[in-house]
Amino acid sequence: MNDLLLDVREVSKTFVRGRLLSREKIVAVNKVSLQLAARRPEILAIIGESGSGKTTLARMILNMETPTSGRLLLDGTDLATINGSAGRLAFMHRVQPIFQNPFESFNPLKRVERYLLMTRLRFAGTAGGSTTAEAVDAALHKVGLSLREVSGRHPHELSGGQLQRVAIARALLAEPKLIVADEPVSMIDASLRMSIVNLFRTLRDELGISIIYVTHDLATAYYISDRIMIMQKGSVVESGDARDVLKAPRHPYTYQLREAVLLPEVANVSANATSSMNGLISPGTPERRA
Amino acid sequence: MLASVAQPHGDQDVQPLLVVRDLQAYYRTSHAGVRRGIRAVDGVSFTVRRGEIYGLAGESSSGKTTLIKSIAGAIKPPLEIVGGSMEFAFLPGYGGLHRAPRAMVERIRWRHLSYIMQGSMNVLNPVRRIGSSFIDFAYPHIGGSRKQFEQQVVAHLARVRLDPSVLSAFPHELSGGMRQRATLALATICRPGFIIADEPTTALDVVVQKEVLGMIRGIQRETGSSVLFVTHDMGVHAHITDRLAIMYAGRLVEEAATAEIFGNPLHPYTKNLISSLPRIGEDAPRTGLGGAPPNLADPPSGCRFHPRCPLASEICSRKVPVMREARSGHRVACFAVNGDDPA
Repeated sequence: MNDLLLDVREVSKTFVRGRLLSREKIVAVNKVSLQLAARRPEILAIIGESGSGKTTLARMILNMETPTSGRLLLDGTDLATINGSAGRLAFMHRVQPIFQNPFESFNPLKRVERYLLMTRLRFAGTAGGSTTAEAVDAALHKVGLSLREVSGRHPHELSGGQLQRVAIARALLAEPKLIVADEPVSMIDASLRMSIVNLFRTLRDELGISIIYVTHDLATAYYISDRIMIMQKGSVVESGDARDVLKAPRHPYTYQLREAVLLPEVANVSANATSSMNGLISPGTPERRA
Repeated sequence: MLASVAQPHGDQDVQPLLVVRDLQAYYRTSHAGVRRGIRAVDGVSFTVRRGEIYGLAGESSSGKTTLIKSIAGAIKPPLEIVGGSMEFAFLPGYGGLHRAPRAMVERIRWRHLSYIMQGSMNVLNPVRRIGSSFIDFAYPHIGGSRKQFEQQVVAHLARVRLDPSVLSAFPHELSGGMRQRATLALATICRPGFIIADEPTTALDVVVQKEVLGMIRGIQRETGSSVLFVTHDMGVHAHITDRLAIMYAGRLVEEAATAEIFGNPLHPYTKNLISSLPRIGEDAPRTGLGGAPPNLADPPSGCRFHPRCPLASEICSRKVPVMREARSGHRVACFAVNGDDPA
């Protein structure tokens, strides 16, 4: 009956800053709608600069933030109606987060396998013992690790790339249908980044998981996503097929973003630098204090 | 005037601005008699020429931060300079800032050597207005009347397209991009010969980043300064640097003109680094490297890249490859490229 895994209907989020007399409303997300189909897993990239509202939108999808107006439906259930620990657990079964800095998402004092075992116990009910360890090992195998490799180690003993894989394995233990990843590779070293990015593709193709990939990096978004949504100051300015949008942007802001991507193949560096220098010397209007 | 100073590949007879020779900087700790050493920078040599932007690329824990700390003379225990020297043109004979007398270093800072850091908030005093920071840092070096100095500051701010009104602002009142431009103005107002830029645009949004990079390039051209530009972002390096060195696990593995590194990388690590970058409009699959960067407390023997290297042979685990000129101006440390000649 539900053709939509996720249905975001015109959600807005307003934050109020300041005291009683100097109140200021900040519209972080302004009437954003998006849909993910239930039967066709896909990777949707939400792109924006800092302050575009992309993280606030992701937090609303994760039910960590309640919208000021609008509704979010997951499998037809309004997120606002979820209450109680059983409801929350059922929600977490469907949607799992992955955050930017894996070192901040793990407690530095706990061994990493403890997290995985606890997560598994929580989602699988009481069945403990060897089946739990097997399930954890299976999840780690999906991300290219094994329980033997991580067992007994604390977060600081793993590299950022390995730890981010562990974070993904932890999310997989819940057997979710949707993963919301907020800048999952921006803290990861270049030589490890692509293997994480490729992993998302594997999750989509082999496990049928939809992924919302929140990022400011147009190049990786182009590389992995099927659909793309560009946000500016809380509103969606352009969305559509990733290749169409980035190859032929319609909105000036998308064009501006794409032009600002520094290509790793500038052949004539000095010629390029001279042209940007002309822009500097030209008497543009100096920026004033806001 | 611009063209005369900005010749990145100009006269090689001119004394280079900075010569780093076989630098070794280790973190040494001793707990209950157990000594541990982390060889963060292990035998690094390079030269920064006058008027060039020299890029340094490397991932986290490759030792690039330790390297610039050593060059800037910010050496505090447990960091120790174990061997090698850093010879500045404006500080001859000392072999590094850490060996020069304190009073001399005070005079050199800002005047000859300045910094642009990643977190501009850490450079600007949060309880002082921007104008006061200019007076604190730059006025002692420039001197003259206060009025003249202020005029000079206003003129310099115009170069980074900032209105004089920012001088009366506190750092938190400015946007990230404006703040980073204010630090850029602060770092360059004394027209220093050498600027260390440590991930100066990493915290900025892409559109602002491109603008700030253009300003760094513009000011560098105008003053003829040399810049040591450190970032992990290869796109930024392609955009701004003249020459580029790649660092891996505490050692340099490759160095060449930036266009040469991107067009014709020789070291297997550099090759992967460049080929794995996704580009808009290209759909070919990209692969990352297997394995993980080594732990510098216990680095692999021989070439530190050999456990992850697709071209590794038997010699790579036994001997340390040295940086050798594979072609003109292109140095690389790899047995697969240079062959195993006994030297």
